[in-house]
Amino acid sequence: MGKFTYMRLKGSQNIRLRLLLSTISTTPVLIEDIRTDSTWPGLRPHEVSFLRLLEKISDDCVVEINETGTKLKYKPGIIMGGRHLVHDCGTSRSIGYFLEPLIVLGLFGKKPLSIRLRGITNDSKDPSVDTFRAATLPILKQFGVPSDGLQMKIESRGVPPHGGGEIILSIPIIQENLKAVNWIDEGMVKRIRGVTFSTRVSSQFENTMIHAARGIFNRLLPDVHIYTDHKAGDQAGKSPGYGISLFAETTSGCYISSDTAVSYARMEEEGEMDEEEKKELIPPEEVGEQIAAALLGEIEQGGVVDSSHQGLLFILCALCPQDVSKVRVGKLSPYGIQVLRNIRDFLGVKFVIKPDPSTGTVILKCVGCGLKNLSRKIS
Amino acid sequence: MAGEKKSEERNDQGHKSHRVKKSGASVKKKSKSNSNSNEGLTKEQKKLNNPKAFAFTSSVKAKRLQSRATEKEQKRLHVPTMDRTMGEPAPFVVVVQGPPQAGKSLLIKCLIKHYTKQNLPEVRGPITIVSGKKRRLQFVECPNDINGMIDCAKFADLALLLIDGSYGFEMETFEFLNILQNHGFPKVMGVLTHLDKFKDVKKLKKTKQRLKHRFWTEIYDGAKLFYLSGLIHGKYTKREVQNLARFISVMKFPPLSWRVSHPYILVDRIEDVTAPDKVHMNSKCDRNVTLYGYLRGCNLKKGTKAHIAGVGDYPLAGISELADPCPLPSAAKKKGLRDKEKLFYAPMSGLGDLIYDKDAVYININDHFVQFSKNDGDNAEGINKGKQRDVGVELVKSLQNMKYSVDEKLEKSFMSIFGKKPDNAMANREAEMQEKDVEFGEDSDTEGEDSDTEDEDSKKDSTSDQQPPSQSNFKEHIDILEGRVRRKAVFENDGDKDSDGDEEDDDDDDDQVSSDNGDTERDGEENASSDDSSADEEDQEDEMGNASKWKESLAERTALRQNINLMQLVYGKPASKSSNDVEDISEEESDDDDDDFFRPKGEGNKKSKEGSDDKDVDIDDCSKFLSDASKKDWNSEVAVASIRDRFVTGDWVKASLRNHPQSGMAGDVDDDAVLGEFEDLETGQKYNSQHVGDLSDGHMEGDLDPEERRLLKLANHDDGNNDAKSSRGQSNGSGYFDKLKEEIDLQKQINMAELNELDEVTRVEIEGYRTGTYLRLEFRDVPFEMVENFDPCHPILVGGLALGEENVGYMQVRLKRHRWHKKVLKTRDPIIVSIGWRRYQTLPIYAIEDQNGRHRMLKYTPEHMHCLAMFWGPLAPPHTGVVAVQSLSNNQASFRITATATVLEFNHAARIVKKIKLVGHACKIFKKTAFIEDMFTSDLEIARFEGAAIRTVSGIRGQVKKAAKEEIGNKSKKKGGYTKEGIARCTFEDKIKMGDIVFLRAWTQVEVPQFYNPLTTALQPRERTWQGMKTVAELRREQNLPVPVNKDSLYKPIERKPRKFNPLVIPKSLQQALPFASKPKDIASRRRSLLENRRAVIMEPHERKVHALVQSLQLIKNDKLKKRKLKEAGKRKVQEVERAKEEQLSKKRQREERKGRYIEQEKMKKKARRNSD
Repeated sequence: MGKFTYMRLKGSQNIRLRLLLSTISTTPVLIEDIRTDSTWPGLRPHEVSFLRLLEKISDDCVVEINETGTKLKYKPGIIMGGRHLVHDCGTSRSIGYFLEPLIVLGLFGKKPLSIRLRGITNDSKDPSVDTFRAATLPILKQFGVPSDGLQMKIESRGVPPHGGGEIILSIPIIQENLKAVNWIDEGMVKRIRGVTFSTRVSSQFENTMIHAARGIFNRLLPDVHIYTDHKAGDQAGKSPGYGISLFAETTSGCYISSDTAVSYARMEEEGEMDEEEKKELIPPEEVGEQIAAALLGEIEQGGVVDSSHQGLLFILCALCPQDVSKVRVGKLSPYGIQVLRNIRDFLGVKFVIKPDPSTGTVILKCVGCGLKNLSRKIS
Repeated sequence: MAGEKKSEERNDQGHKSHRVKKSGASVKKKSKSNSNSNEGLTKEQKKLNNPKAFAFTSSVKAKRLQSRATEKEQKRLHVPTMDRTMGEPAPFVVVVQGPPQAGKSLLIKCLIKHYTKQNLPEVRGPITIVSGKKRRLQFVECPNDINGMIDCAKFADLALLLIDGSYGFEMETFEFLNILQNHGFPKVMGVLTHLDKFKDVKKLKKTKQRLKHRFWTEIYDGAKLFYLSGLIHGKYTKREVQNLARFISVMKFPPLSWRVSHPYILVDRIEDVTAPDKVHMNSKCDRNVTLYGYLRGCNLKKGTKAHIAGVGDYPLAGISELADPCPLPSAAKKKGLRDKEKLFYAPMSGLGDLIYDKDAVYININDHFVQFSKNDGDNAEGINKGKQRDVGVELVKSLQNMKYSVDEKLEKSFMSIFGKKPDNAMANREAEMQEKDVEFGEDSDTEGEDSDTEDEDSKKDSTSDQQPPSQSNFKEHIDILEGRVRRKAVFENDGDKDSDGDEEDDDDDDDQVSSDNGDTERDGEENASSDDSSADEEDQEDEMGNASKWKESLAERTALRQNINLMQLVYGKPASKSSNDVEDISEEESDDDDDDFFRPKGEGNKKSKEGSDDKDVDIDDCSKFLSDASKKDWNSEVAVASIRDRFVTGDWVKASLRNHPQSGMAGDVDDDAVLGEFEDLETGQKYNSQHVGDLSDGHMEGDLDPEERRLLKLANHDDGNNDAKSSRGQSNGSGYFDKLKEEIDLQKQINMAELNELDEVTRVEIEGYRTGTYLRLEFRDVPFEMVENFDPCHPILVGGLALGEENVGYMQVRLKRHRWHKKVLKTRDPIIVSIGWRRYQTLPIYAIEDQNGRHRMLKYTPEHMHCLAMFWGPLAPPHTGVVAVQSLSNNQASFRITATATVLEFNHAARIVKKIKLVGHACKIFKKTAFIEDMFTSDLEIARFEGAAIRTVSGIRGQVKKAAKEEIGNKSKKKGGYTKEGIARCTFEDKIKMGDIVFLRAWTQVEVPQFYNPLTTALQPRERTWQGMKTVAELRREQNLPVPVNKDSLYKPIERKPRKFNPLVIPKSLQQALPFASKPKDIASRRRSLLENRRAVIMEPHERKVHALVQSLQLIKNDKLKKRKLKEAGKRKVQEVERAKEEQLSKKRQREERKGRYIEQEKMKKKARRNSD
């Protein structure tokens, strides 16, 4: 084997993003000092799980972790894709954590990817699977990803701490490359949809949430429909919980979402926090109001995507052919900024970031790196 | 044909008009044919006039024809590719290729002479010229070795294939054509030379014809083949060169897919910028080189890796944009090109002002440009004493006054030098002097003769003598202000830089380059800052300094600053590359508190919460970001009102205004999107949309220059078209093809509009250096051999590598042996492949795909079929063309290209299998079970093959069960015997025999060797053939080793003894028990034959008579029959002849009748036409 020059990075921040970009740009990375000073040093279970997922969908990728897990060597392979894959995401982070990079990786595979992911479908930290289906997948369509074969099915739901949810995700491959977008028209919100769910609790919780959320939207828009999704039995996972996911569709085809889930905390976190404080769950009406307010907040910010999708949007823009992509987002989220920096480091794509003072939005422009789907086989 | 053309041209120029020949053989011939047509028609002519000749008679045929026509039309269409180049294209590369002595250099010289009116002494390296108002050309002579040909094929825009007409085609031409075809097919034009060697006109004509048709079969019918008829005064005739130039000037160069996706540079100048003391210490140390050339292909970003063909992969240590050394003429409206604008640039050829050498650059100064002379020094000393003279001027003057070389001086008197100029004793002056001595020592030699003339010159124009000392610098300034740099100034400057750039550190060097740049001052500074890795503070200073100049456009400035701030917030200072630059960000924030609005909330929190990296480094990565906007009370009326317009229930006009760009951003697409929405409403909103449009237009007009406005207009226009089309519905659908084209057009215009509004520095950062710019690339730690063995006749190609192309892996290609290569290729024999920019040697494994998708290894490539080849090497994207060669030597007579291929995919795992046949023998046989030994070597191996199907030679099928337990097959250790491993228990469908051989047929993975060896041809003398891994056959030949023979594999004559069967013996007791019919009848053999056979027959006389009569009667009958047959045959013949005659007659009659009818019809038609007219 030839020798590789590893890109040296430090710290555990954005490890998932870095691994994603490293795989896409086939740059070997060497990450040092992963939580060296922390009480529990080294990689977290979800990060290890993500590495396993990468190994699963790619061919000949080499992962080396030192004994304490504070140092990671990753040499990406070729993304193979494939069908009927199964991956257990564990319970330390929700499936949403894995979906975000997976959806980008899947596009550049040799074969279309269909994978069954097990774990936590909804939690408060990561975007829920409902949001993913409603708001994330349409973003891909903007970039010319074929819509047939792009789907996600929720088999069962699971909330922290024990999870037990299951989804099936299938992503098509792109034939040549993505399409540059010029996506700065956020449009006006024409409808608001949403899903509430409840597992192992009374379905009455959902009605309460819906009622609360609607109360806020009623002054603005009549076209609000929030569906209920009460799961019972096997489909309800292993822990009780409830949550809501809302998204607003605009006249120009943008989807703006916000979501959360309420459940008992995970074990490790419980140890950290004061037990009395967090023991009590947020009542459903408050959850509904909060999320509705959050959605309005996102709408107020403007932009063609909400703040949690900024990262994905930037990555896709950077992967476009060498045309100018132009997108409008609200305030840059910290994660978005991290993504921009990492894109610069890995793909060499810099964005022109211009504020639009009249609307309080930010317009980003970039020339894509012109990545083609290299692993695709031609006959 | 050529003659006619000539005469026409003469007509154009007002020469004598052509006189038609009135006598001679040709006239007679013509008149004859004419008269024939006039009077009656000959038979042939009649045939030609058949109107039904090309009409179809059957509907099936008609349909077939129609479908064929449509298919042809569809075939003609190609998926439109996007041409992303903007601005002036780089000079088109014209590669002149041909076998040795075909006249390549002469053709280039003649073309250069034609374009620039200058004589080129010798052709070395690329020569750039301005050939028209909008076109530049770069001529390159293709070297004759295969490496050079491969490299040339990769950058040629047009290939002129020179063919020695007197000799015919040579292999080089076809080899080059093949290479071209596989690396994207650029335009090709054949040029026949040496046609004056033909004395016989007829022969010449025939040869031309023959060569032309051969050329056509190779490329396409109608490919242009140009004839250069001969030499006049050792040059091609002016007229023909002019014609050729015309052909070149109208040629269009379609984009090639590999090249539009990769940046590349054809190097036309190379410098070694290693610190000289390093070289002095160790002449074989790694060098730093700078390569210069026009950027082609696609934009080049900083930080891309590049492959120098024949050297290897290197990261680009530095890129800087230089002023175009051969700029297009300014766009003044005039016809043609003026003499002054007929520039050319050929630093390697030793023409122009810069003479290129391996280790130095000599400046050739024209007489009237000479500024420094002794005379001037004497004269002007008095005048200039008072003024502060430039340091450089002083220095040069002192050097001119020198009697001894600097070395000598230094040795002799240390003080004298320092005493002379105490004020400008720089810290680095000593080093400077050391540097200069080498060059000026040589210069003084070469320009010794010149100095005399210089003196004279300076005497002549002594009035201008006050100026000269500072003129060079002064001129430079003027030029920079003008925004353009004249070539001469650049060269002098470059020369300066080269001579003293060595001892200065990189910083200074870059500064100089940027000042060379010749753009506006601001640009230069920005360039420098962008180049610089450590000039943070400087950068800020620059901004401050520039701010004073920009007062006039205050608004623009503030906008720019804001922009930079936000970008700096995200990306940090240009120097900091790592993403963990928290300190930087916090600094920035303290600077600009005013734009609180645009600061992400999280950032602020972070700052307040912690100031150290540690926590930020380990921050949880979570895309979700809950801002405190969610805490806003949405029940309050104010809050609701603030976002009312973001909903469809709100005010649409306001919302549309919101989407409308305000701060000078060219929103050309959202524009029409908004308009689209208005149409949805279908009410009186039309006025509003108009209003909005006006607003925006009015706004834009303020800050867009007319060029951009035009583009915008175009883009908008296109949008309008699209809308109209879509509204009309897909039914009329002008075709997928047109739609694609339109989309591409639109995207291009958007790109242009978006990028043009950025300032230069950001634009370069965003999209990289544009194609067509003249770049200086710096490479660090290049092997010294590259400089040592540099040969300007071999062009250097620097190709940019896309993402992931520097990685290595297995590549699968679809390969076909070239039909002219004599042998088939053997698996694992090293071949040299050229993929993308690279050339390397590798060991392929050939395979073929079976019907079930299995890749079966082949020992040899198929004779006439494609096969797969898998090899290890740097990855190239699918669809890339591949050329394979086996030997690089020039003295090989045969065709050197062994195979051509396309990349199908790449992998990290090879999956090629080959057949394996395991052979075993039974060692113990039970009923249907047998123990098989010798098939496996260990029990572990058996475990792997459990359940595998096996077969005996006689066709009995079976299965491997398990490894035999020791008790059954072998004696256990306890019992004293040693256990033999690898005995398998197998079951069969029938009992097998001890002598049966048992086969197990399976597939085994073939390892593809992980070997590749980049061709480092640029690191050795070019005339030496590169030697890589040798094939086994070559090694054997060299070492005189015989091919090893496995005796067992030899075929031996099979000797089979005729089988002898013993007679069947039935025991007596059995015989007795048998029924009679089955009993063997034992008849004793007779010693004498029977009487019936032995006796003689004697007939009676009457009987004899009867017998004789019957015989004679029969004879008569036979004879009669024979005669009758003969007669009948004769009759038939006559009849046939007669019938044939009749038939012919009737046919003839019919034909004539028909013809007459047709003629009549034709006449009628003609008459009718005439009447209608």
